[in-house]
Amino acid sequence: MIGDMHAAVHRSPLVRSFRRSLVAVLGGGVLLAVLLAALTPLDGSAGPVLLLLPAVFLVYVGTGLIAWRRRPSNAMGTLIVGAGAAMYLGNLWNTEIPLLESIGAVCSTLLLGVVVHLLHAFPSGRLHGRISVITVAAGYFAAVILQAPQYLFGPRGSTPMLIVADLPQAAAVGLSVQRVVGAAVMLVTAVLLARRWFDADPRQRRALGPVYSYGTLVVVFFPFSAALLEGTFGLPPAARGFLQFAALGGIPVAFALGMLLGGFAKSGEIEELGTWFGVSGAGRQDVSPALAATLGDPSLRVSYWAAEREAYVDAGGRTVRDGPDAPQPPGRESVGIDIDGARVGAITYDSSLVGDPELVQTAGRVVAIAVDRERLTAELRASHLALQRSRERLVNAIDLERRRIAQDLHDGIQMRLVLLALEAQQLGSIPGTGAETTSRATALRRDIDAAAADLRQLVHNVMPAGLVEHGLWAAVEDLTDRMPIPTRLTMSPKSGAGTLPSAVESTAYFVVAEALTNTVKHAGAGSAAVELALDGDVLRVEVSDDGVGTAAPNSGAGLRGLADRVDVLDGRVRLRSEPGQGTHLTVELPCA
Amino acid sequence: MRVIIGEDEALLRRGLQLVLEDHGLDVVAAVPDAEALGAAVKEHVPDLVVTDIRMPPTHTNEGLVAALQIRRDYPMTAVVVLSQHVQRRYARELLASPNGRIGYLLKQRIANVDAFVADLRSVAAGGTALDPDIVAVMLARARQSDTAVQSLTPRQQEVLALMAEGKSNSRIAAELFLSEKAVVQHTSNIYDALRLPLDTNSHRRVLAVMQYLSRD
Repeated sequence: MIGDMHAAVHRSPLVRSFRRSLVAVLGGGVLLAVLLAALTPLDGSAGPVLLLLPAVFLVYVGTGLIAWRRRPSNAMGTLIVGAGAAMYLGNLWNTEIPLLESIGAVCSTLLLGVVVHLLHAFPSGRLHGRISVITVAAGYFAAVILQAPQYLFGPRGSTPMLIVADLPQAAAVGLSVQRVVGAAVMLVTAVLLARRWFDADPRQRRALGPVYSYGTLVVVFFPFSAALLEGTFGLPPAARGFLQFAALGGIPVAFALGMLLGGFAKSGEIEELGTWFGVSGAGRQDVSPALAATLGDPSLRVSYWAAEREAYVDAGGRTVRDGPDAPQPPGRESVGIDIDGARVGAITYDSSLVGDPELVQTAGRVVAIAVDRERLTAELRASHLALQRSRERLVNAIDLERRRIAQDLHDGIQMRLVLLALEAQQLGSIPGTGAETTSRATALRRDIDAAAADLRQLVHNVMPAGLVEHGLWAAVEDLTDRMPIPTRLTMSPKSGAGTLPSAVESTAYFVVAEALTNTVKHAGAGSAAVELALDGDVLRVEVSDDGVGTAAPNSGAGLRGLADRVDVLDGRVRLRSEPGQGTHLTVELPCA
Repeated sequence: MRVIIGEDEALLRRGLQLVLEDHGLDVVAAVPDAEALGAAVKEHVPDLVVTDIRMPPTHTNEGLVAALQIRRDYPMTAVVVLSQHVQRRYARELLASPNGRIGYLLKQRIANVDAFVADLRSVAAGGTALDPDIVAVMLARARQSDTAVQSLTPRQQEVLALMAEGKSNSRIAAELFLSEKAVVQHTSNIYDALRLPLDTNSHRRVLAVMQYLSRD
């Protein structure tokens, strides 16, 4: 979808100017790298290794700019470039120009402070919570201010330019203080990151885990790495330097990869997103995937405000628990989308992937019109769904009611008529009864029998016993048996249809009954044919006759009502009735 | 003759029991559902079972299933199935049980007590009883298209219907106010017209006629 977007519109002036700025920064970075290479003496034992410095610096600038370009609103890119700058400044120490050496001495541990900042800000680029802000500030404090005793009082780690007094003990005390504060900063950082990792879902953990571990390891072990690698493992200085630079160079790559692959908002695309919805007409597609791709959160969902139900619904019309007022699970947020103060929808997203709620709201304003259009569609679908459910309930209610009436008649009045007729018959056979009484009693019994036969027919018309007792095949067979004109019945499979849904059975039955009634009453037909065929999940019912053929789909409430029933069951009705060609009705009912 | 009644309506069950007892039948059990019917038949092994087709728990065709089961398991126990509505498929299923001793009647027939009890006795004695309503439907259907049936005289059609109902020649004679000899004459003419094999066994005679009438 985003690909379509790129193809469909030209880049906006804002985006073009932004890209040009990044290219300028890159140019500056390359220039600085060349300068550093030129200023660094390469003749010492560590000379060739020192040439790695400008290369590592370029890695910082390069990855930082890539991240910046891909996620302009995310401060991670800026921070990585900043880390590159810190690293550059710290390594001016290696030049042999006093002023630059001094700057290097002052900034020698600045990079560690920036890495702590990166760790806390990952992946959104913002610091979440007061503890993070204080910890990062303490980190910078330890890296810059607490470094001061080293170059002010100590011969180690200083330049002649900066020393104010030679107080090795003060320098040693300063170093201890710096290490204690640094350790405290890293302890708090480790606890905080562990908690964030623990709260994250498995997908986020895959991005957070490696980045957190790598960053923390670098900060904790870098200050001791020289002593550790050369003293304990006995590596030559050149190899040690190489390893250190590699570890440093890994930092920007790790953060940038974690951020880009873990997903993050590309706010620079939002403007284009708006153009896309406005221009390309592709907004007929769901807004959700487009926004999810743009904001870099695959779990993002757009829902629509259904005013009538006072609830948010998804694109299919089903109610969802979204919106700013609905409680969301930890790590998820929901913001409302409004047009002219009227609520049209909500965006629900992963707050750890999309750091900035403002950005989501901006995106929401951009797509509001498209969301409103989809909201109307969703509302329509929702009411259609409700209507469909209600029709299904009606059909089922009618069937249930018919069954109940038939059962009540069967249990009640039919049974009483049997008993009454029995009683009448027995009246006539009491010993000593006159012939006149006997014959009148028998006549009474016959009348009651006739009434019972009428009632039997009535019950049969309401809900045929065969349908309840023995299914559609038996009931239709009985129906055609009682036809006054020759009626051919074809059923496949012959053995019966097994258990069909009762709404399908009764609909199919009444379709046949109504069609045959019409044939007898109006068609003047000489013969008729009925076919029932269960083919996979579809029941096909065909009723045809050789009559006058003037039936119309809307003629007679009976057939129209049945067409409605068929429609409720998602079935199809075809009626072919040409003068002189007979009438041919086909109904197909899905019965999965 | 020992009889068991299966009928879920208490009033009708009681009424039926009284009528049968009045006519000298020994009602050994009267039960309200198919399960109790099976148990009672197992206990008493009666000469005759009279059962409603529709009984608890599902009120569909428990009585029919029980009837077929009884005919299979107890060859000497006759079964008459009563129903509010009769139709061909049930008739076919019931007639398929071997050796007759089967009846399928509208419930309303109970009221004509003498004829009803005569049907019960005939079925218990190895005969067959099919309701006039279903026979009339089948005959009407055959008259629409079957030229052989169309060629029968009205009287012959009456005799044919009574044959299909399982009536013996003597009962047909009594019902139509004919001599038995005349009935025999009619039946042999009917057999000729429909090309049916001559058969005096009541059940086989019903089967043959019904099969003929059910032809498509």
